Amino acid sequence: MADRPDLAELCGAAIAGANGEQAEAYAAESRRTEVKARGGEVDALTQAASRGVGVRVIVAGRLGYAWAADPDIGEAANLFDAAREAATFGTPDEANGLPRPGSVEPIPGLFRSAVGELEPERKVSLALELERASISSHPEVRRVEEVMYGDALSRVAIASTEGLAVEYRRTDCWCVVSALAEREGETQSGFAFRVAREPDELEWEEAAREAAERGGRLLGGTKPSTQRLPVFLDPWAAASFLGVLAPSLSAEEVQKGRSLLAGLIGERVGSPSITLVDDGRRPDGPATAPFDDEGVPTGRIPLLDEGVLRAYLHNTTTARRDGAESTGNASRAGYRGVPGVSPTNLVVEPGADPPETLLGRIDRGVYVQDVKGVHSGANPVSGEFSVGASGLRVEGGTVAEPLREMTIASTLRDVLQRVVVVADDLRFFPGAGAIGTPTILIGEMTVAGV
Amino acid sequence: MLGCAFMLDESLVSDVLRAALASGGRFAELFAEERRSTQIRLDDRRIEELSVGLDRGAGVRVISGDTTAYAYSNRLDRGALFGAAEAAAAASRGGGRVKLVDQRRSEPATVHAVRAPASDVEPERKVAWLRAADDAARAHASEVRQVVVSYGDAVQRMMVAGSEGRRVEEERHRVRLMAQVVAARDGVVQTGFDGPAALGGEELFEAHPPAGIGAEAARMAVTMLDGVAAPAGEMAVVIGPAGGGVLFHEACGHGLEADTVGKEASVYRGQLGERLASPLVTGVDDSTVPGGWGSFSFDDEGTPSARTVLFDEGTLAGYLYDRFWSGKHDAEPTANGRRQSYAHLPIPRMTNTFIEPREGDPDDIIRDTKRGVYAKVLGGGQVNPATGDFVFGIAEGYLIEDGRITSPVRGANLIGNGRAILEAVDAVAGDFDRRPGTCGKDGQGVAVTTGSPTLRIARMTVGGTGG
Repeated sequence: MADRPDLAELCGAAIAGANGEQAEAYAAESRRTEVKARGGEVDALTQAASRGVGVRVIVAGRLGYAWAADPDIGEAANLFDAAREAATFGTPDEANGLPRPGSVEPIPGLFRSAVGELEPERKVSLALELERASISSHPEVRRVEEVMYGDALSRVAIASTEGLAVEYRRTDCWCVVSALAEREGETQSGFAFRVAREPDELEWEEAAREAAERGGRLLGGTKPSTQRLPVFLDPWAAASFLGVLAPSLSAEEVQKGRSLLAGLIGERVGSPSITLVDDGRRPDGPATAPFDDEGVPTGRIPLLDEGVLRAYLHNTTTARRDGAESTGNASRAGYRGVPGVSPTNLVVEPGADPPETLLGRIDRGVYVQDVKGVHSGANPVSGEFSVGASGLRVEGGTVAEPLREMTIASTLRDVLQRVVVVADDLRFFPGAGAIGTPTILIGEMTVAGV
Repeated sequence: MLGCAFMLDESLVSDVLRAALASGGRFAELFAEERRSTQIRLDDRRIEELSVGLDRGAGVRVISGDTTAYAYSNRLDRGALFGAAEAAAAASRGGGRVKLVDQRRSEPATVHAVRAPASDVEPERKVAWLRAADDAARAHASEVRQVVVSYGDAVQRMMVAGSEGRRVEEERHRVRLMAQVVAARDGVVQTGFDGPAALGGEELFEAHPPAGIGAEAARMAVTMLDGVAAPAGEMAVVIGPAGGGVLFHEACGHGLEADTVGKEASVYRGQLGERLASPLVTGVDDSTVPGGWGSFSFDDEGTPSARTVLFDEGTLAGYLYDRFWSGKHDAEPTANGRRQSYAHLPIPRMTNTFIEPREGDPDDIIRDTKRGVYAKVLGGGQVNPATGDFVFGIAEGYLIEDGRITSPVRGANLIGNGRAILEAVDAVAGDFDRRPGTCGKDGQGVAVTTGSPTLRIARMTVGGTGG
């Protein structure tokens, strides 16, 4: 794309027309490759190049937005006019405003040239090796539903009439394995995901093995009878619940009365065994960046400190409404939307022991490795949920036979309060931002199956 | 503007397809689109945001053997189109050669007329629709605490041309107004939702006035405040009109999509002609439904829209195909090749998926049910296509006691297996309703409708917190 204007130049053109209005231009571009494989063949290879600009204009507290895919300099300037017109329909709100420039510290190692240098042939062979590795690691896994290798180089630039002018670039790569385990007409799928900054750091062999094992161990499952039992949530299952909790940590949801954690700063909302932070700067975090989606420097925000609620996440608008400071959690769906609030890397602090040691403490319980229907079965406002789950019975301190078609029902608050202990096996998953959590042992929940 | 999908001339398209096939391949295709959209969001009585967008881009697909190579960018100029063609060609690996066929433009058999395009409506009028929904929701009951109304319209102009000579163009107008309401009383908080949508324009609001949308969302939220804890266990479940379509879509439809079938990940593989569901169940997928949110004249590969019978009185009658899988399985394409945008590969997707009504009064089904749950409105769901196991939330549900609908129930969901549930359908009424939604698969969201009459599942698992 050498013939295209660079992002900073586009941002400059997009706010040049401002005459007393506040204006901000957000420009992003990315190059992405994804290879999907199955049955020893490449299913699909996708190469993508995309870029675009979004312009936010604030006039007398009124907000307007306009965006375009790959504008030239002239079109970028037109976006300002379109956003200014859109602003005339907004309701004035004193909280609407742009951030002043902060001190942005770069994050070492965020961009790795290895990703851009990797030949497509190597990406193809990685995907094929992923499938082979998964199939060879379990006797009852003879095929996969799909495996995928993906990587991306991305670049973001933001400029505003407040003097902001920042830019960063980042690389990501990831792999996904969905293995199918089969026995006597029964099929179970097992899923694993890994993410890294560059291919050499991607634990793809572990993902291949883990997916096969997770599918294989569910074969021959039965429904449990209904009872209250201690429940282990493995990292994938725990991340699903955190994904439902995450919006409640946003000041935007608190201000709008949609958070089950509203008004509880300084209160104990979880057991002393749970500490939750939002860390936008950890080198291994998928959502790491030097600044958020409106240019405010990211940080490390303690949210639950040994069970006590310490903070909500803010962008500039929610912070202005509360008379607080932005926590660097402005987030948007690329150049197509205005910033909302979202976690960056939402992380449950790992404990000291591996999950096997924690299993040893429980005589009878359930180990949940997958929950289904969390977003339909859990109410993020009331915190009530009843979700489908699959996993294993825990007996005599170790995992035993598989369980399927069970449901677990409780409230999110109750789950937080009943956290007994957190293991040391931290894993990251995609979420709103990214969610990182180890295996978590919950005291007791209703497990139903009939 | 830099370029428009409709302006790509024939010789340019042919040259791009030729470049895409330069290193072999049995099929090449160029898809280009331009999409202009408006979104408005009202929250806490304030118009928070009015946003206008222009999206555009083109993708080149080359199929060689069973491998698909795809390259796209969001530019429509000659250089970008050739760049994408060359990238796709480089990623494809031989696998035969086809000769490029001269393009013939296909005219649509099904035209979805737009009477009043939303793109012609002044922003002031659109803002008034959101205000009307907000006012009606707040006027409904004093328990209403929060109202969010969101509006979106889009005009998509697309062009798709394939190496076998097919070229189609279509302009699709879509409009949707959604209201979400939070109601609270004595510390109990519940939510309600309504969100009609159409392939069409402002005429959507003749059948669904904005005020009615706000009032309906409020009614649901306030009703659920009186809810009791849902029972847990196996029982009869009566599903209200439209809700059965959600169940059919999730628990069955995904397993009939040809890619799921072809990857041997479907419980419905190799079972055409088998009786797999109750004889009361006839299910179809129909992209010709006038004004349907999931309708179109051509699918995103240029196949004319169609009606496909999936279950004929309980017998498995068809799968849903895109071009790739219809070729592979030597079946007719069914116009189910869809993509979210130029940034996505077309895959088999549902459109408007219905269980067809039979005869009889839905009230008779309730009267005939001694104990169970009435799921009036289903929430979202999830299904594992490998097993057919599913979970659906019940957004609005009630207890059925001695043949009567009694208390609302909260926090309930339905857990089961798609095949088992379709076999367990033991009553289907003569009413019918449908709802729009966005179906997600492989990271792509597309507009779909689900519809059904009132129906009953003799026994299924209800997950709840109560006894």
